[in-house]
Amino acid sequence: MKPPRLLLPNAIAPAIALTLTLAIALGSAASSAFAETLTRYQATPASKVTVNGTSTIHDWKMEGKIIGGHFEIESNYPLETSAGKLPDLKVKSSAEVSIPVQSIKSGTKRMDEVMLEAMKQPEFPKITYKLTELSPRTGEHKSGDPLEFVSKGELTIAGVTRPVEMTVTVEKFDGNKLKVVGSTPIKMTNHGIKPPAPNIALGLIKVGDEVKVSFEWITARKMDAPK
Amino acid sequence: MKTPLEPFDFNRREFLRGGSVASLAALFGMVQTVAQDAKPAEAEKAVTVTNTGVIGLGARGREAVTVLGSLSNGRVTALCDHYPSALKRAGTAAPKAKQYKDYRQLLADTEVAAVVIATPPHQHREIAVAALAAGKHVYLEVPLAGTVEDARAIALAARDAGKVVFQPGLQERSHPQSHFLLPFIRSGGAGRTIKARTQWHRKTSWRASSPNPDREKELNWKLHRETSPGLVGELGIHQIDTINWFLGQRPKSVMGFGSIQHWKDDRQTADTVQCIYEYSDDIHLSQELTLTNSFDSEYAMIYGTDAAVMMRENRAWMFKESDAPLLGWEVYARKDSFYKDLGIALVANATKIVAQGKNPMEEAPYPNPPLFYALESFLFNAHELTTGTKDFIENFGADDPKALANHLATLKLLPAPKWKDGLEATVVALTANEAVVSGRKITFQDEWFHV
Repeated sequence: MKPPRLLLPNAIAPAIALTLTLAIALGSAASSAFAETLTRYQATPASKVTVNGTSTIHDWKMEGKIIGGHFEIESNYPLETSAGKLPDLKVKSSAEVSIPVQSIKSGTKRMDEVMLEAMKQPEFPKITYKLTELSPRTGEHKSGDPLEFVSKGELTIAGVTRPVEMTVTVEKFDGNKLKVVGSTPIKMTNHGIKPPAPNIALGLIKVGDEVKVSFEWITARKMDAPK
Repeated sequence: MKTPLEPFDFNRREFLRGGSVASLAALFGMVQTVAQDAKPAEAEKAVTVTNTGVIGLGARGREAVTVLGSLSNGRVTALCDHYPSALKRAGTAAPKAKQYKDYRQLLADTEVAAVVIATPPHQHREIAVAALAAGKHVYLEVPLAGTVEDARAIALAARDAGKVVFQPGLQERSHPQSHFLLPFIRSGGAGRTIKARTQWHRKTSWRASSPNPDREKELNWKLHRETSPGLVGELGIHQIDTINWFLGQRPKSVMGFGSIQHWKDDRQTADTVQCIYEYSDDIHLSQELTLTNSFDSEYAMIYGTDAAVMMRENRAWMFKESDAPLLGWEVYARKDSFYKDLGIALVANATKIVAQGKNPMEEAPYPNPPLFYALESFLFNAHELTTGTKDFIENFGADDPKALANHLATLKLLPAPKWKDGLEATVVALTANEAVVSGRKITFQDEWFHV
């Protein structure tokens, strides 16, 4: 993709030009400037996101199976899991991730309702994440182990965006697929979410502020159509 | 086993027994609980709410309107009946709902995602097939239709309907009590099954008054042979379905007897009916229904070598034989006297309720009417299927129907009957009615149950 500003006719409204400039500035430098060297992996089914939480009564767990979006990484990056040392430079990459809030389920109707309400789902139907920086964790890595990276990004939940840093592993499989695995603690109150305290049959339950979100994100490179 | 209330339903015996605190408490306790839940304010509706239209606003349709209003995931946005005063009457329970005289207008309403069809069975086919074609989720009262042919046409449309829920109104299949009893009976909790018996006894005419002869005929479709599935088709169907489900089989044949014993008006349908169903392993179900005597109301029994299990409304008891093995928990369970027999209460989560310092029998186990659980499942499943499909397609596209189907199969749905269950119960019940009307023994043919 070429920088879009060059394509704009001179008469374009300044507001639109500004928006585009901002979009480029916000995007990871790598993804915009070196787009032609990146390989794009598109989200495919079979992903999993798990939220583990606590409450005054018992621990709880919710699960979703939909993680959308895409992941781009420099085309010649050695994703094979052979032994060796990863290049310790930042990886040219970008990722945009999206999870429908309503796809995360507890298995009980009432708890799902409470969660959707707490997360202000009608107003903010998606949890989104944008990768801003990806660097390999230094050190040797053993043959067969997935590659480990430190990722920095911006996580938006219930309309509130917070920076998040976590270790992720990236594993290539089936020839054209990537599995990105990671987990991070999240405080609900950091995203303006009041931990629910629903009144249920057993009495009043108060949910703990901190939850642990774990994910396995499956993406696939579109195979080139035969020419 | 709860069946829709009739306009003139008056259970005299139940009322006279009102001296019993328990029956009074049950009577009023039920009313109170329902009243509390009756209308959560609009703000209390869950975001998972599904906009629903109700087609056919007789007693059953109006009950559906009330129940939908009481569900956190239910909202009635449209009503339909071609009879103006029925529309008006139902409108008081759902004042914001749009009112339609023609069901086709309701089906064209894009705000309506789901419909409850509660018209007389002989009108089901046209409406149900059109509703499925319009992409609505469909809750269809049973019997599915007035004839086996129509029921199979509806089942076929439901099978091929794609990403919508089709739920036949076999409400016991969504009831938590059934899901507690099913594994108990299937695992031999009462020993080897010997026989089964059901009864539905009321003293009620089954007739509704009407302002003119045309309306009279329309309103009293249950009393005319060409439109009535009979007592067994209209009411007995729920009990037959429960027994079939618990036994895990359907009957091989049915014999029926029917007569007009008491209501000697111009009706053409029996007010007293007995049917005998024959199952594998020489098990028989005898079913009795009458509109002439209310004694002992309604219940279903399964008799085993170790115990008899009685299912009554939303409660159940086990009557053990003296030589039956000790299960353990029954020692602590609450017992109720039934003349000379001692009924051991079968209560789901009894130990959990005790752990909370409550008496399991004083806690109304299931405070809501059976239709509540059935419609709760219907709307929940409709919402899951709709959002599950939408989320999948938005994120992964629509190119891979198999992957979508795999994803939808992972959705955790609430228990609900499928079109197959509805067809099976309908074929059995309508055939039983045919046996009653003709006085013949009828052997079920496998192909009647397939579409």
